[in-house]
Amino acid sequence: MIKKIWPLILIVSVALILVFVTGLIIAIAITNGGDKNPETLPNPAETIETEPVSAANSILVLGDSIGFGVGDEPDKGIGKRYAALIDPDNTITVANLSVSGAISADLAALVAAPENAAFISAADLVIISIGGNDLSRLQYQDALSLDVTFQETLNRYQESLEATISRIRALNPEAQIALIGLYNPYPDQDPQKSQKLFEWNYQTQLIAAADNKTAYIPTDEAFKYHLQTYLATDQFHPSSIGYQVIAETLDRILNGID
Amino acid sequence: MLNLIRNEVTKLLLKKKLILIIGLLIIFITLLSYGQQYTYEKNIDRFENLSGAGTYDWKSLASQRLNDLEKRLDSPYIPADGIASIEIEIKQLRYFIDNDINPITPSAAKFSVDFVEQGISLLIPLIIVILAADLVSGEFSTGTIKVLLTRAVPRWKILLSKLIALLLMTTLVVLIMGLLATLISYLFFGQWGFDEPVATGFRLIDGQLNADAVILVSRFEYTILIYSLTWYVAIVIAALTLLISIIVDNTVSAIGVLMAALIGGQFLQFFLSDWPIVKFFFVTNLDLTRYLTGSYQPIPGMSLNFSIITLGIWGLLALLLGFQIFSRKDVLV
Amino acid sequence: METPVLKVTNLSKTIKKKEIIKDISFQLNKGEVLGFLGPNGAGKSTTLRMLVGLSRPSAGTISICGHGIGDDFVQAMSHVGCIIEGPDLYEYLSGYKNLELLGAMSPQVTRAAIDEAIALVGMEKRIHDKVSIYSMGMKQRIGLAQALIHQPDLLILDEPTNGLDPQGIHEFREIVKSLAKDTGISVLISSHLISEVQLMCDRVCIINQGIIVRDGAVTEMLSTGEIVWVLNNPYHGQKILSEQFQLDARITAQNELIAATDLEILPIINAALISSGLELKTVTTKNTTLEELFLSLTNQKTIQ
Repeated sequence: MIKKIWPLILIVSVALILVFVTGLIIAIAITNGGDKNPETLPNPAETIETEPVSAANSILVLGDSIGFGVGDEPDKGIGKRYAALIDPDNTITVANLSVSGAISADLAALVAAPENAAFISAADLVIISIGGNDLSRLQYQDALSLDVTFQETLNRYQESLEATISRIRALNPEAQIALIGLYNPYPDQDPQKSQKLFEWNYQTQLIAAADNKTAYIPTDEAFKYHLQTYLATDQFHPSSIGYQVIAETLDRILNGID
Repeated sequence: MLNLIRNEVTKLLLKKKLILIIGLLIIFITLLSYGQQYTYEKNIDRFENLSGAGTYDWKSLASQRLNDLEKRLDSPYIPADGIASIEIEIKQLRYFIDNDINPITPSAAKFSVDFVEQGISLLIPLIIVILAADLVSGEFSTGTIKVLLTRAVPRWKILLSKLIALLLMTTLVVLIMGLLATLISYLFFGQWGFDEPVATGFRLIDGQLNADAVILVSRFEYTILIYSLTWYVAIVIAALTLLISIIVDNTVSAIGVLMAALIGGQFLQFFLSDWPIVKFFFVTNLDLTRYLTGSYQPIPGMSLNFSIITLGIWGLLALLLGFQIFSRKDVLV
Repeated sequence: METPVLKVTNLSKTIKKKEIIKDISFQLNKGEVLGFLGPNGAGKSTTLRMLVGLSRPSAGTISICGHGIGDDFVQAMSHVGCIIEGPDLYEYLSGYKNLELLGAMSPQVTRAAIDEAIALVGMEKRIHDKVSIYSMGMKQRIGLAQALIHQPDLLILDEPTNGLDPQGIHEFREIVKSLAKDTGISVLISSHLISEVQLMCDRVCIINQGIIVRDGAVTEMLSTGEIVWVLNNPYHGQKILSEQFQLDARITAQNELIAATDLEILPIINAALISSGLELKTVTTKNTTLEELFLSLTNQKTIQ
């Protein structure tokens, strides 16, 4: 029996060894990224063609997917909705430099990049939504490691956010800044994690308090009881209504009720 | 030499080891496939309850996401390093929408990769240990080593034939693992999913996951890549097992030593991850597939190249030492 | 002179600073059956392991058919078949498969040679059964067959009858004896059983505490040079022997008359005894038993 299948075993395994060795080499090549090198990537500045208009009322949105407006109707988002609220005539320009998936360190890098300086110095209002990705990427095993990694992440977030604000202030001492707070899309989860969210928002408020033209815009209180309607179908990003609520909160805090 | 190798393969096959291994794999794979199917159905239920619409409409979500991404690509404000990853996500989404496949649907191809990704640092090494632990020590325990070594064949040839036989059988075991994982999970999921595009090629630069060099490959190609890495790990484990099998003279101790090394190594990695020497330990380097997925950040300074070289050195040293010991050993059983 | 099948010169082995084998030398010629006799722990097994390359000598040389085992292992081993401490077989394979696997390790082994070896040990009927269900005797036969399939010139058997029942011992002994007679193979058998060596071997080496204490043909070693007469009147015979032949004879408790004499003059003595009117019942040569010899040689007080 063995005698008969022996040639088959030999051929199959030798052929497979060749396949696997090839696969291994390709895998190594792929992870080494061929000859692409991060240093030789085209400079991002080249892709920017339109210069921001320095209108009297100019809004700049920075941050992550919520800043970008993921989950909202096309071409809306916090910035556009807020502009529509305060200025029905549509004279305000809204620039949006948000990047889906950005964390606070990405934002600090973005505002530090010279090609974005023009946007920042031209803005009258800078809306920043950041931190959600820092927090949701937290990896932990147990309560202890949650505490440790949370503290580390929070420290890094604070540093990045402070760097971001001081950079904006350096370019534009007069602009109003608004920091959008985080809401909890998964209230049924681990109460421990919810508590971390409060602590996070509290630290954001402290940073906002340190600068007299920086406002903290809370969202959790508004979202808490209306997740069904305020969240988009992905159960994570705000829905159109959710964005409208954030824009109105922003309006009420910055402008008060007439 | 070919005769000697055939002898060793015959012994491995007739010892019914392979049947034990196949049995174990069938049990594991069946349980895991069932578990994944169950989780998937629960998730779908949850989505449907939450959306309240009755049916979970992934397609409109995916289309919306696709629109967003495309619009973002048109925006002049996107940093260049983001463009590549957006393009990849767009291609993936297009594929799912065009082929009417829900991206979260489990498929046989996905399962066969998940299975080895999960198993690569413990289950697969253990299976190779089962295969290889008694290769030499078993001959010592039964005394048959005396019959082998008193033939007109030099000792190194005996060991080399065992090594090659083990290499062939390990390769077959990896193949069997892939086939079983694919076939059994297909029975549960009813989806092959081999032509679906997968993103791979993540790199760690300065401790940050870098997606510049990410490329799209078909799931079939991806599966081959993952199994190639698995095979490499299996070969290194086989070499180490062979060494232990030569040193300890009896099969039970050989299995014990290797299990202790594998499980102890995981502990070491967990508790001492700040200690730089840990990254040179072989157990720490077993999880090669994570470098392709870019899902997990190991100890700083580790990369696929590093792990492959480290494992290779462990394997070669084990073989060198094994041959030395085997050709000098006095047989006193 | 023909090269000896096995030549051992000044062989020593030290394990853990204890000298197990102390400078032994012996040789084995073609067609000889040599018994290696010694108490347990005398070093028989250690010596045999060195002969077949399972362990390395600390000093000395071993050559098989002119090939040194250290520098020409493959050539040397192609002339040797052996069973070292019991038949070692793969229990999960059939007897036939066992032989086939080992046959594949030597280039000259054909299917016919395997069948021949099976016939020789009389295992044709059960050869395709799994070894795990064989009796000890059957395993030993397969063990012998696997030592013989490559037609060696030297067969080395280490305690081959250990664990066999009397019937098995007898059968095994007959196989080895006929093998030596029919094929001219040289055999080296180690044993602590005196009867076994006495029945199977032409020559015996008695080994004790790592030293060969006696080496010679079995018959020579046992002969005492004495003759035993059984007579109706031994005292009369004693007188005749001392008067006519000046022999100093003694009478045992069994009334046997014993005297040391040359075999050449034995017919004359016998004629004299008969002519003197005595009834001569039997005349035999007196042998010591190997057991007596063995005990006198290996009489050890302490275990070193």
